[in-house]
Amino acid sequence: MDILARIQAASITAPCLAPQHHHKHLQQLCFPMSTGHHFSCFYMHQNHFPVAMPGHPCRIPSGSIRCQSGAVEAPEMQDVKFSKSMLSFDMGKDRLSKVPASQIRNFSIIAHIDHGKSTLADKLLQVTGTVSDREMKEQFLDNMDLERERGITIKLQAARMRYVAKDGEPYCLNLIDTPGHVDFSYEVSRSLAACEGALLVVDASQGVEAQTLANVYLALENNLEIIPVLNKIDLPGADPERVRNEIEEIVGLDCSEAIFCSAKEGIGIQEILESIVAKVPPPKDTSMNPLRALIFDSYYDPYRGVIVYFRVVDGSIKIHDKIQFMASGKEYEVDELGVLSPGQMQVNELFAGEVGYLAASIRSVADARVGDTITSSANKAGMALSGYQEAVPMVFCGLFPVDADQFGELREALEKLQLNDAALKYEPESSSAMGFGFRCGFLGLLHMEIVQERLEREYGLNLITTAPSVVYRVQCADNTVVECSNPCELPEPGKRVWIEEPFVNIEMITPKEYIGTLMELAQERRGEFKEMKYITESRASVIYILPLAEMVGDFFDQLKSRSKGYASMEYSLSGYRKSDLVRLDILINGEPMDPLAAIVHKDKAFAVGRALTQKLKELIPRQMFKIPIQVTIGTRVIASESISAMRKDVLAKCYGGDISRKKKLLKKQAEGKKRMKSVGRVEVPQDAFMAVLRLEKEVV
Amino acid sequence: MGSYVTTLCKEITSTLSQLPQASPLKTLFFGGGTPSLLPPQYLSRIVDTLDQHCGFQCDAEISMEMDPGTFDKQTLKQFLGLGVNRVSLGVQSFNEDFLKACGRSHGLQDVYEALDIITGLNVSNWSLDLISSLPHQTLEHWEECLREAIGLSPAHVSVYDLQIEEGTKFGVWYKPGHHPLPDEDKSASFYRLASSLLREAGYEHYEISNYAKPGFQCRHNMVYWKNQPYYGFGLGATSYFNGKRFSRPRKLKGYADFVELCINQSSDNFSANEEYLSFYSNTVESVEDRVCDTIMLSLRLASGLNLNELSKNFGHELRVHICKSFLPFINSGHAVAVDSKFKTVPPDTFSTALSEQSASKVLKDVIFIRLTDPDGFLLSNEIISSLFTDLPIK
Repeated sequence: MDILARIQAASITAPCLAPQHHHKHLQQLCFPMSTGHHFSCFYMHQNHFPVAMPGHPCRIPSGSIRCQSGAVEAPEMQDVKFSKSMLSFDMGKDRLSKVPASQIRNFSIIAHIDHGKSTLADKLLQVTGTVSDREMKEQFLDNMDLERERGITIKLQAARMRYVAKDGEPYCLNLIDTPGHVDFSYEVSRSLAACEGALLVVDASQGVEAQTLANVYLALENNLEIIPVLNKIDLPGADPERVRNEIEEIVGLDCSEAIFCSAKEGIGIQEILESIVAKVPPPKDTSMNPLRALIFDSYYDPYRGVIVYFRVVDGSIKIHDKIQFMASGKEYEVDELGVLSPGQMQVNELFAGEVGYLAASIRSVADARVGDTITSSANKAGMALSGYQEAVPMVFCGLFPVDADQFGELREALEKLQLNDAALKYEPESSSAMGFGFRCGFLGLLHMEIVQERLEREYGLNLITTAPSVVYRVQCADNTVVECSNPCELPEPGKRVWIEEPFVNIEMITPKEYIGTLMELAQERRGEFKEMKYITESRASVIYILPLAEMVGDFFDQLKSRSKGYASMEYSLSGYRKSDLVRLDILINGEPMDPLAAIVHKDKAFAVGRALTQKLKELIPRQMFKIPIQVTIGTRVIASESISAMRKDVLAKCYGGDISRKKKLLKKQAEGKKRMKSVGRVEVPQDAFMAVLRLEKEVV
Repeated sequence: MGSYVTTLCKEITSTLSQLPQASPLKTLFFGGGTPSLLPPQYLSRIVDTLDQHCGFQCDAEISMEMDPGTFDKQTLKQFLGLGVNRVSLGVQSFNEDFLKACGRSHGLQDVYEALDIITGLNVSNWSLDLISSLPHQTLEHWEECLREAIGLSPAHVSVYDLQIEEGTKFGVWYKPGHHPLPDEDKSASFYRLASSLLREAGYEHYEISNYAKPGFQCRHNMVYWKNQPYYGFGLGATSYFNGKRFSRPRKLKGYADFVELCINQSSDNFSANEEYLSFYSNTVESVEDRVCDTIMLSLRLASGLNLNELSKNFGHELRVHICKSFLPFINSGHAVAVDSKFKTVPPDTFSTALSEQSASKVLKDVIFIRLTDPDGFLLSNEIISSLFTDLPIK
């Protein structure tokens, strides 16, 4: 859901887009997501790469939910027109009131896209009275309008609920949302680290999917109590017993107490809430220790600076406290402190076990990175919380403006995006064929696509993106190791001893009829078979080790199309291995086209070379002279074609009445030339670049 | 027909009577549609109207486009009597099948009858139109056609490619460059063949599509290519004077309304119709447009672009700039530089001159740059559009 919402929101914020466009766009993305999703702004993940222009998110526009709390100054409360909404909050009205740590439950929901995470979360909010039925609907509509008008996305990262359990005690439940995609597995792990328990939601008619599995393992690593929930039991195709067995078998989880639920119909919601209270352990009460709070998310707000979401692990935090981020070392004063329920509601103090947000005029999310520990400047903790990692880009590509004049705009846009995206790396790059641009590093493919998409849609840039590349390790003859993510910078063949490339462990979960075709796919991509097991009679898990470079192209698209959409996949980096790799250079009229250079496996070099020369021959128009197109490895030509010279381009008739029209035609032709990139004397149309880059993504 | 000619004459009268002094016409051209269908008494009215308002120079060239099968000896005789002294005959092909293919209503017999009429009346200044690149046409067919034309010894020959316009029947049937239409290479060889055979037979290839025996260039059309001003009258006609290019309405009703306006404008009812007129009227061509016109039109001519005139009209810097833009084409043999003695400047000399500090001085010796025949002419669009791309003006 997170990813989907994120992408949908990207579409929504671009006002000119027609609805069908969203869908089209979705199909182009190479990520695990199924169709039939729905969109709820309450449960949009407060992502690390928010899709909307920074606006004023998270402030629910009406004052209606700020009532009944001593901790909130709410002058609007005097206003009579809010009285009705106040009534509807009878149940959840005390959710800001302090409860002892023993009555706090922090949990997240792990689910595959479309398995009903957002519906379930919506229901929990409604049942606990955090948001009324009516408001849920109104809010939804309001937000959509707001988004359309102002490009704001209302996001939710966490929700604090008050629930009076059957034991008569009031509990404070904090739902912490997690991103769903492997690109963000670090962020997922930090979100999970902020919880003591997780609901594992599985569609009772579908079964366990690959990403769900990956996140369950992350949850288990973080010692979370996992509560299995079988959702959508009301559907005709539901087979909760089968799915229950599946979970037991794959995850090895005791499912005897799995909850049968239909979030849509409201079945099993009470049981879930009771189960959270009963099974999820309360946080330890360590309020007396020095402050340690785990950042699990942050986003940039242009008015207040970075908004940091955190879980207080030890100690307490007060408004106006001086705090320090232990990894970045930076110090700030807390300007604003609050909880999310689901809008931001200000409080004065938060204690160990609680979840909240703060604003402290922080300039960039890079200064408040996910995983960092917040401590008190006055009473510093001895040690930071474990698990912090710097963002390490896995996938790189070159981004060049089609129009060289947009270089400055591109730089500004990247600067702005980086404010909100600590994982985005970029540095200037120039090439003879493409002019000036940037080499950018991303966590993964989804991350790359999101950034490209935002640059194009939100900043109106027209970009050429080179084929994604991974980081190669080159053992050089002089005994040094060079890391290289740009094919152009690969050391000369004579200077290198071997090249290593990153490999991933990939797990595909598929109905059995597609096992063959998926194995074929993995084999084509230089995959090495590891293991296959039947999860159930009809579904299997197939594990391969394959080069990351083979994954970053259209692997996921292929997986989806070859399995008619039924298979899912998950991957994790498994390390570096030596590979027999070569660099292909493309020469047009003897001039190298740097951005089209590619690193490929030796066995594929000829096929790729042929495909590239043929494509270029097709797409480069005839010019006044013959143009040779060559693909070389070092100095050796492995494929070549040539475009014969143009023979005739002349307007036969041009008399008095024709002059204006013919001039227009020639000017148009001249305009076309301006849009071409000159490679030496050859004019190469933009779409030839695009097509070759696309081709490289497919076949390299 | 009568009322159209009346409207036309009104337009002539109102336009010319507004001019302080209309000088006698040097050339007159009846073209577009099929002027040979015009009854001679109407032609007489038009010629008289023009004579009344501006008159003709004694050696004025008066051309008329005529299609085979649309006129008889008597008509042509009357036309000649009214002053027509140049006939442009739309023959198109000397092959019955190709005549059908290019959508003409006339047959081969009409062609020969028309030729008989023209030669019978001793019209010495006549031109013949041919179309190449017809569906299924081979190089042999084309050579036959060209030889037949040369055998008839016209003073002037125009050679065009079949133009496939979108939205026409042809556009639906055929795609340029695809069978049965000749491909680009073949179409180029047709052009080369026409150029070599006609030049061999003593015709000057004086414009991309036009060939003439010495002294028989179409003086009227030269006005267009030299980017000189001309009047235009009648339905859909274009004119270029006072720096404005203007196209008249293409529909009869619109044209009649337009003429009414012209008349009202010439009386003092100007302001009331200003708005309506502004819909038609054109602004003065910008410098960029004039530079483009000059380049595009002059490079159609064998004589090429006159650099002295270019610097005179647009400044010396543009001259140097354009010379630089031409360099690759001069090096590749698609264009040549010519000095004041009409001698070709060798590419090396030209290129050295450009690279030197004293470029402007040396370049003064280069008076013309022209496209080569046939290599440069064949790629003229590519060359002209490259020059446009390079232009320093936006």
